[in-house]
Amino acid sequence: MAKKFVAVILSAMMVMSCIAACSSDDKDSDSGDSAGSGDAIQDLIDSTDGTVKLTVWASEEDQELTKTLIDGFKAEYPDVSFDITVEACSESTAKDTVLTDISAAADVFAFADDQINELVRAGALLEVTDSYTFNVSEENLAGSVEAATVDGKLYAYPMTADNGYFLYYDSNVYSESDVESLDAMMAAAAADGSKIGMCVSDAWYLYSFFKGAGFDLGLADDGVTNTCNWNEEGGTDVAQAIIDLCTSGTFVNAGDDAGIMTGVNDGVYSAVVSGMWNAQAIEAAYGDGYAATKLPTFTLNGEQVQMSSFSGYKLIGVNAMSAQAGWATLLAEYLTNEQSQVTRFETRGLGPSNINASASDAVQSNPAIAALAAQAAYATPQRVGGNYWAPAASLGSILAAGNPDNTALQTLLDECVAGIEAAVI
Amino acid sequence: MTLKKTPNNTSRGHFGYFRDLIAAFKNGDKYVRLSSVAMGTGYIARKQVIKGILVFLVQILFILSMIFFAAPNFAKFGTLGTVEYAYEKVGLNTRINNYDNSFLILLNSIVAIFIIFVFILFWIHNMKAVYELQVRKEHGRPINNFKQDLRSLIEGNFHLTLLTLPTLGVILINILPILILIAIAFTNYGGLEHTPPTHLFTWTWRVKNASGEVVGKVWDNFSTFFSNKNSNFNYAFWRIAGWTLLWAFLATFTCFIGGILLAKLINSDGIKFRRVWRTLFIITIAVPQFVSLILVRNFFRDSGIFNTICSDIGLTKLLYNMHLIPTPDTIPFLTNPKWTKFMIVMINIWVGVPYQMLIATGVLMNIPQSQVESARLDGANNFQIFVHIIMPYFLVVQGPALITDFVRNINNFNVIYLLTQDIYQTHDLKMAAANAKEPDLLVTWLFRLTNENASYNIASVIGIIVFIACATFTLISFAIMMRGNKEEDYR
Repeated sequence: MAKKFVAVILSAMMVMSCIAACSSDDKDSDSGDSAGSGDAIQDLIDSTDGTVKLTVWASEEDQELTKTLIDGFKAEYPDVSFDITVEACSESTAKDTVLTDISAAADVFAFADDQINELVRAGALLEVTDSYTFNVSEENLAGSVEAATVDGKLYAYPMTADNGYFLYYDSNVYSESDVESLDAMMAAAAADGSKIGMCVSDAWYLYSFFKGAGFDLGLADDGVTNTCNWNEEGGTDVAQAIIDLCTSGTFVNAGDDAGIMTGVNDGVYSAVVSGMWNAQAIEAAYGDGYAATKLPTFTLNGEQVQMSSFSGYKLIGVNAMSAQAGWATLLAEYLTNEQSQVTRFETRGLGPSNINASASDAVQSNPAIAALAAQAAYATPQRVGGNYWAPAASLGSILAAGNPDNTALQTLLDECVAGIEAAVI
Repeated sequence: MTLKKTPNNTSRGHFGYFRDLIAAFKNGDKYVRLSSVAMGTGYIARKQVIKGILVFLVQILFILSMIFFAAPNFAKFGTLGTVEYAYEKVGLNTRINNYDNSFLILLNSIVAIFIIFVFILFWIHNMKAVYELQVRKEHGRPINNFKQDLRSLIEGNFHLTLLTLPTLGVILINILPILILIAIAFTNYGGLEHTPPTHLFTWTWRVKNASGEVVGKVWDNFSTFFSNKNSNFNYAFWRIAGWTLLWAFLATFTCFIGGILLAKLINSDGIKFRRVWRTLFIITIAVPQFVSLILVRNFFRDSGIFNTICSDIGLTKLLYNMHLIPTPDTIPFLTNPKWTKFMIVMINIWVGVPYQMLIATGVLMNIPQSQVESARLDGANNFQIFVHIIMPYFLVVQGPALITDFVRNINNFNVIYLLTQDIYQTHDLKMAAANAKEPDLLVTWLFRLTNENASYNIASVIGIIVFIACATFTLISFAIMMRGNKEEDYR
């Protein structure tokens, strides 16, 4: 039998050797020799021959907008032939998709600023050393530039300044003084027979309670692991406050973003904690009652404590392994310049990070953007390592379920903090 | 092809394979011996010129692939690369250095090792074949010309022609990836700073600490699960492994029994519109699981339609008063660990029973009616007939299929992942620290580790464990089942 086996293998081997003989890699993506002091863009155009192939990843909702903007970009350089593909990739999970294989990821991709630290550590982002069509760090809001900076170096282009969360409410149910505190809101909601929805079991939102109560969470010096003091004295009071809220029956854990929108559309939630990405859908559901403001206060040991939040930005990055780094850079600049940000606000209602664009009356009078601005005073930039999310989400889900196993709250917090601070494997 | 039976290979043991080779060297003439260096010679000397040239070409291809493909990769195989990715700006563009890609080095080296292994087999085969030609010539037996060789491939040796492509497929799709998976389990591949192409990874025993001392050990990734009792991975692993086995048993058993009962019910006498009922159940198969499971997940979520209905009809209140749920206004169908496991098994019955019902309908038709009749004449009631005749028959006929189902359920990714993703948050903080959730199977945990956390080395270890577990179950159960001829016993 071995004889037949070997005979079969023979043919296998011929193919193998073929593959071997054909494979030879040329990793040098060397195009354009000219130095950057002169007209760098003209040099790039001159050194480009053939079609420039680029891939862009933008969120599902932004596909049409991005295609329109890219048409504008192509019109800027009529002498160059482009082949630009736009693919859908959610900004909130861009990191996972990019890091699966950086060399296969898009040349230009949009992502939320919470992922910039990991993207930079993984070497996925091309550093922004120069600006070519506008001054990136001076024309954008300081907070957004800071969000795009790691270790003092700029790594991405700010696209929107609206990725935080705040309170949406139906002004037919709540008065302006009601939305100051959760207690007043719950009374009004109970009278109305509706509920208040928030994703308590989502680590991103859970942060608002602990940070509001003065507890800290941040990156350790190594830039990858976390430091967290939620289990220190007083932490159990925050945990108890969350349990009290979630077992009241009026304040409900919505689970995830789809849960928020289901609740809003079904008329169950008359107020929700959410962000800009739901603005148009919530406005449609609440109609003329649509209103937004900063997050309310919650009761901690009998005192009112203002809820905090993560401030967030959406950024556009250029892949460090892009074979067309020059054109990818120019496209990233174009997609984030003032005009593109204005268009993005007009078509999608997303708040601009560009200083001029965000100063316009239209932007300033948008209720959701005004609410985000009001919340900004209590928001902190998002600098956490990857080990924060799962343990904190788990804590949130236990607290939201009313701590069903009756574990001591201190034990819960200790275990949660141990998980958050755990070394990265 | 008649192989000459020499006294040596009438009793071929494990060493018979090499004994033939030794015989070729001992008794072969100069052409046979020359074939060990220039491989076609033995054929050409016996006037099989085309075959000789082809074999010679294979040898040249092999040598070329060793020089240009294997050697550069083997040189770096020990370290898996030393030059890290870097770029410099040239105007607007970048110039990327000639960096090492650890993964490609690993992949290419393993392919090269494989090529060498196959070539050695080929070389041994070649030596024996040219020796056989010599023997044939000495005894004056006919020697095939090239045309006859080719013809034999579609006549006497047609199986070789048929099996070549599938064998290639198995090697490329199964064997090489498994070898690579095993190799990755011994590296620090994963995380942010050890993922190619922008970073290098290396073998666990070459891992250094910040001051440059070697701190890694060979079995580091495995000890994360097995020897370090305090690690979250150890904690999560045993819980998930236990649930995986329990789930595989429950899922297989419930669908098996459910399918038989359903088939019996639809086939039983007083039922009308049998085809309609059968079709209704088969529709569940026709809708892709990706669609139906995600829909079902949305039905059962905390703000979903089932919760609204249960709360409207007062069921939620009732369960709350019975202390079955912790909060008064939602049933945590897919958010509480115990409820979720219960719901997953239930929903899996709904998804899985139609398949078993179809099979059971077929098997039921083949049950020897004479036995059922005689049992009935002896006074057995329906239940006794079911337990003593129908069930044993099913177990004999479907035994192997049940094992396959069990193994498939160990790896039942769809049901678990689609029903819990985005909704379920673990209630166990130690599991959360290992990125695991209570209803996770080993395979969904593996998926989360690779897809959401890029811990490829840890995931490889889980992959190896799942493979060993599945292989063991399959082998043991088949061994038990094939012992004796059960079917004959039954009859």
